[in-house]
Amino acid sequence: MSFGASFLGGANSRLLPVSIPLRFFLLGLVFQAAGWAVLLTNAADLAGFNGGLGPVLAAVHLLTLGVLTMTAMGASYQFLPIVTRQALMRFWPARLSFWLVAAGVIILAYAMARLWPFGLDLGAGLVAAGLLIFVILTGDNLRRASGVPVVAAHGWLALVALSAVVIAGFLLISDFRSGGLGDHQAVAIFHMVLAIFGFMGLFAVGFSYILVPMFALAHVDISRAAWAQFLLSVFAIIGFLLGVQTHRGPLMIASASAGFIAAAIYIWAMWTSLRAGMRKRLGVSFLLIRVSWGFLLVGVFLGGAMVANVPVPNTPALFGFVVLVGWLLTFLMGVLQRIMPFLASMHITDKTGKPPLLSSLTPKRPLLVHAAFHFLAVGLVSVGIVVNSAILIRFGAASGLVAVAAFAVFSGHILVQLRKR
Amino acid sequence: MKSGLPGRHWQDKDGLHIDVRSLSPPQPMVAILGQLDQPDQQGPVTVHHDREPIYLYPELAERGWTWKLVAGEIGEVRLILSRPS
Ligand code: HEM
Repeated sequence: MSFGASFLGGANSRLLPVSIPLRFFLLGLVFQAAGWAVLLTNAADLAGFNGGLGPVLAAVHLLTLGVLTMTAMGASYQFLPIVTRQALMRFWPARLSFWLVAAGVIILAYAMARLWPFGLDLGAGLVAAGLLIFVILTGDNLRRASGVPVVAAHGWLALVALSAVVIAGFLLISDFRSGGLGDHQAVAIFHMVLAIFGFMGLFAVGFSYILVPMFALAHVDISRAAWAQFLLSVFAIIGFLLGVQTHRGPLMIASASAGFIAAAIYIWAMWTSLRAGMRKRLGVSFLLIRVSWGFLLVGVFLGGAMVANVPVPNTPALFGFVVLVGWLLTFLMGVLQRIMPFLASMHITDKTGKPPLLSSLTPKRPLLVHAAFHFLAVGLVSVGIVVNSAILIRFGAASGLVAVAAFAVFSGHILVQLRKR
Repeated sequence: MKSGLPGRHWQDKDGLHIDVRSLSPPQPMVAILGQLDQPDQQGPVTVHHDREPIYLYPELAERGWTWKLVAGEIGEVRLILSRPS
């Protein structure tokens, strides 16, 4: 090893074993299939869904906790040490957090679907323990992130929101069991808004400010826009929650409007990066990412419309589906198909000691099939919710399953390459 | 050499040098690949970094460039990038 490398203690000391992020991503895929399967078999319950225990809530948590949170955990463990220049000191807590959240999601989702009180407590307890480890590890890393303050700010707030989401989750399930919560509906909205926009939204947006310029090879300063978006988002989330607690409609509408402007600023910053980027051909992954930004705007708009009592049929279910699947899941699948080959290639060397080409680790056909069926799923289920058609929702969920199968083929290709070398 | 990219770059007897030590991610990668993607860039290119750029390697391999870690200053990771003819 050369002087430079040995001086730093070696490159590989910073290289997380690939099995750590991959286990999060792959189990996320299994949970995604489970979520679509639950929807397939309970399609009639979706359009009128407006909260409460049952199979749809189980599907929501398979998606939010099982897919989105799991993937966010894997991606943070992988990327934050690079961004903050601090290696994870130990790997076992990351592995432990995986097992706790994995087991917790299975039990919690089953208990939500089957109305099993002890399972709700057990599942929530395991999930909370795993997420606590994640919050500590990520917080410890963010503490040292000096070079990218706006990304760190998004990260911090996302962690605070996640902690509040889990506490509210406990209150909600204890209320289902033994009552005592004054305003269940208000806590449910608090839990939902902080989960979607506070935790997952800020996380996705914060990561975008690193990943999108990196993928597009863009040198452009978007930090002012990013701060403006951040502050507006904070105002929107806090204002909306205050509006809900105090039953002030105008405050909720003003906050939703601020959220819409924040989303527009974010998307403008992303387009600016893409336009300035030296890499123009970004492939099917960026088709997903771009479409997801459209769904973000539609979702925030629907949220505002719901508060303003605009008569869109089945708005609660439509809003939830558009933001969770249309925006967050689509975005995540776009990012994932870009970073998985990257991670694998850093861990594989051929006979000459070089990594394989990224292109050889990115089979195009499964990704095209995935994108086509994913979009079909989003379209069919959204229309199915609006026109209250269980058949359309069922076809949509089946398309979602095909999309997951196609992505599994893509992931399988990467795993085979990893095993071969 | 392309100007308008982040970091410091200068031409020396042994080719182009890029110093990305003061940059935060993802700018080091943008600075280096931006130079390598210039049609007239044949290498070698010397990179002055503050850590081993593991995320850069897949991109280098994709472009047909090779890399070698060499001795640098204290706290520096120095790489020589070249494009085998
Ligand atoms: C210990 C962990 C958690 C528990 C016990 C829990 C529990 C619950 C419960 C009981 C509800 C239904 C509220 C009602 O309508 O009465 C709910 C809704 C929801 N939860 Fe969680 N949750 C947890 C974690 C999370 C996390 C981490 C996320 C996101 C990352 C999340 C996202 C959501 C969403 C989006 C809804 C709204 C569903 C809807 O009504 O459309 N939850 N949660």
